[in-house]
Amino acid sequence: MKVVENMKNRYAAYQELDSKDKKTFWKETLLNNALYILLIVAVIYTYTRNNQFLTIGSIMNIISLSAAYLPIACGIAGCIVLTGTDLSAGRVVGLTACISASLLQSMDYATRMYGDMPVLPIPLVILIVIAVGGLIGLVNGFFVAKFGLHPFIVTLATQLITYGLLMMYIMSNGNNGQPLSGLDSSFKSFVTGSFVGIGGVPIPNYVWYAVIIVILMWFVWNKTTFGKNMFAVGSNPEAANVSGVNVMRTTILVHTLAGAMYGITGFIESARIGSNSAGTGLNYECDAIAACVIGGVSFVGGTGKISGVVLGIFILRIIFGALIFLSIDQNWQFVIKGLIILVACAIDMRKYLVRK
Amino acid sequence: MKKKFLAAFLCVAMTATMFAGCGDKKDEPAADSNGTTDTTAADDNANQEGETSDANVAVFYYTFADTYIASVRTALDAKLEEMGITYQDYDSNNSQTTQNEQIDTAIQTGANLLIVNIVTSGSVEASQTIVDKANAAGVPVIFFNRAVEDADTEGQVLGSYANCAFVGTDAPEAGHMQGQMIGEYLVENFDKVDLNGDGKISYAMMMGELGNAEAIARTQFGVEDANKVLVEAGKAELEYFDTASPDKYQVDKEGKWSAQAATEYMNTNLSQFNEGNNNMIELVICNNDGMAEGVITSLNDKGYNTGDDKFIPVFGVDATDAAKQLIADGKMVGTIKQDAEGMADCIAFLTGNVSGGKELMDGTDGYNIAPNVSNKIYIPYAAYTGE
Repeated sequence: MKVVENMKNRYAAYQELDSKDKKTFWKETLLNNALYILLIVAVIYTYTRNNQFLTIGSIMNIISLSAAYLPIACGIAGCIVLTGTDLSAGRVVGLTACISASLLQSMDYATRMYGDMPVLPIPLVILIVIAVGGLIGLVNGFFVAKFGLHPFIVTLATQLITYGLLMMYIMSNGNNGQPLSGLDSSFKSFVTGSFVGIGGVPIPNYVWYAVIIVILMWFVWNKTTFGKNMFAVGSNPEAANVSGVNVMRTTILVHTLAGAMYGITGFIESARIGSNSAGTGLNYECDAIAACVIGGVSFVGGTGKISGVVLGIFILRIIFGALIFLSIDQNWQFVIKGLIILVACAIDMRKYLVRK
Repeated sequence: MKKKFLAAFLCVAMTATMFAGCGDKKDEPAADSNGTTDTTAADDNANQEGETSDANVAVFYYTFADTYIASVRTALDAKLEEMGITYQDYDSNNSQTTQNEQIDTAIQTGANLLIVNIVTSGSVEASQTIVDKANAAGVPVIFFNRAVEDADTEGQVLGSYANCAFVGTDAPEAGHMQGQMIGEYLVENFDKVDLNGDGKISYAMMMGELGNAEAIARTQFGVEDANKVLVEAGKAELEYFDTASPDKYQVDKEGKWSAQAATEYMNTNLSQFNEGNNNMIELVICNNDGMAEGVITSLNDKGYNTGDDKFIPVFGVDATDAAKQLIADGKMVGTIKQDAEGMADCIAFLTGNVSGGKELMDGTDGYNIAPNVSNKIYIPYAAYTGE
């Protein structure tokens, strides 16, 4: 009922404005929501040109593509809230994807990486990849917090280190750089299988995992002390420190949590793509960072919402999907992606400047 | 003060022993099989096997991340070690600038043979720069795998320096063979493949990288040659599944020939083009096996190519272990084999010539040499549809 009351109040406030203020009100509303308006226009336009765009199959495709990128974006968003970034994310996804694949290759696959070792139980593999991702995140966080290094530098370094490890891993045990595939059917069905569908279109399981991750991250960000501390450190580390927040511990934890998220992304990617090589995960962080800033997780620090991250991911995927449906030259995807990021960040900073 | 010096000295000594340790390891097999001292080996270095030569080989790979290149690297490392040749592998990490700098460094460290897997394939400018560097330093250079010049400039670079050679494949050949294979398969199974019975096969094309000579050739000839076979047999030509598309291919925008790009394209394609809409994609042609795997993952999710009747033919290139397994399982039709072992053998043979003091191209008559350029060796491709 509160919502209705709020709307009533807002409407009353709007009524009280004179005509000039009303004009600015509409202008502000339009500008602040420009991205969503553009998105709706884009969807409607695509639909009129190709009405396959809004079939259940197509919508489900966009949802599942978005779901695959949600965990990594939720992880990286935490780093951005701390005014940092994480360049190692993509390579961590690659490493954990290859680890998952190698541990879960089916027994009858001819070129298994671990010869006669049985297929490990899936929960154990999830724990392993979370641990590996978390460990790299811990290293990131430690160097950022302890030595006050900029995350850009730290994660650039760990990105390279992780890539080196990834290549050593994929060359090891006689695998010689061959792609890791031939995944066990239990693994495939755990990730890409489905138990329920809409209108005959199955919902892949990893969509549900993404939903769980989003709920979990929302809870962590909004309902825990750790979450509050994260925002406090993000907006002003000195102030946070003075008010008794353990800045070092918070920074390390945020990065560790992010690393664990990359591990989960790697686990899902591994089965979703089915073939994992040294190139897996390359540049994933770019899309994730783009989605975060589009969704209003600001590089200014201390602001951002999980719902924004989800929205950012969806905006990117919807636009990419629409371009294929419109049969537009693929090079335009880069231009359009760049423009969206630019516009989104400009709108975001504009709000911030006004407040100042 | 003294203490500091001592510490610094110890550090240097430690590093030195570490490097010495590495160097020893590579020479080991030679010392074992040889038994004599190095000086005698250097005196009559005509022998190729089991002798330590003074050859110091630098091998540059365009990227360690490439699956096929990784298998060449494994094979070549083993060969060079067996021959007792000192070598150093460099990862150019998909950057021509990095590679050029590495070459400069290698020449400075005293490398007397360069083996180069060039990053920018098919570009005369890029390869000429490397040849000039080698020429200035007076060291021979062997290019392999990625083309150093395209059809229009054939011989321009390779002809400019006597001490260079190319070991690779005839880039268009894989495309031609793939097209031929597709055509023959379709003629045999036309009605089965033509799911909606409109007398035409609609295909999707997964391209690995924009501007890469191999990718361009495969994208073009994979379709053209298939069409030739189809027309000869009185069938309709292939039709791109999305008739509105200006490109007639979908390319990995990051240029990494990845399974991921192929899966995502295919997922989106299948949400629009499927049997429910009576416009299902009936054939998928891929520039490499990685992309073919990605396509099959996507088809599997929609219930195709799981080993029963619902089957969309998928073709690739490379014959990776994973692709061979897919073919054996009946989930993929065929691929074109690039012979990594054969390529490594040929490079090792030329290296033997150099370390043995012979002419670079000595005794290569048995190899398949390009018709117009005498120092260009082709390692043939082979069609693979299962063993």
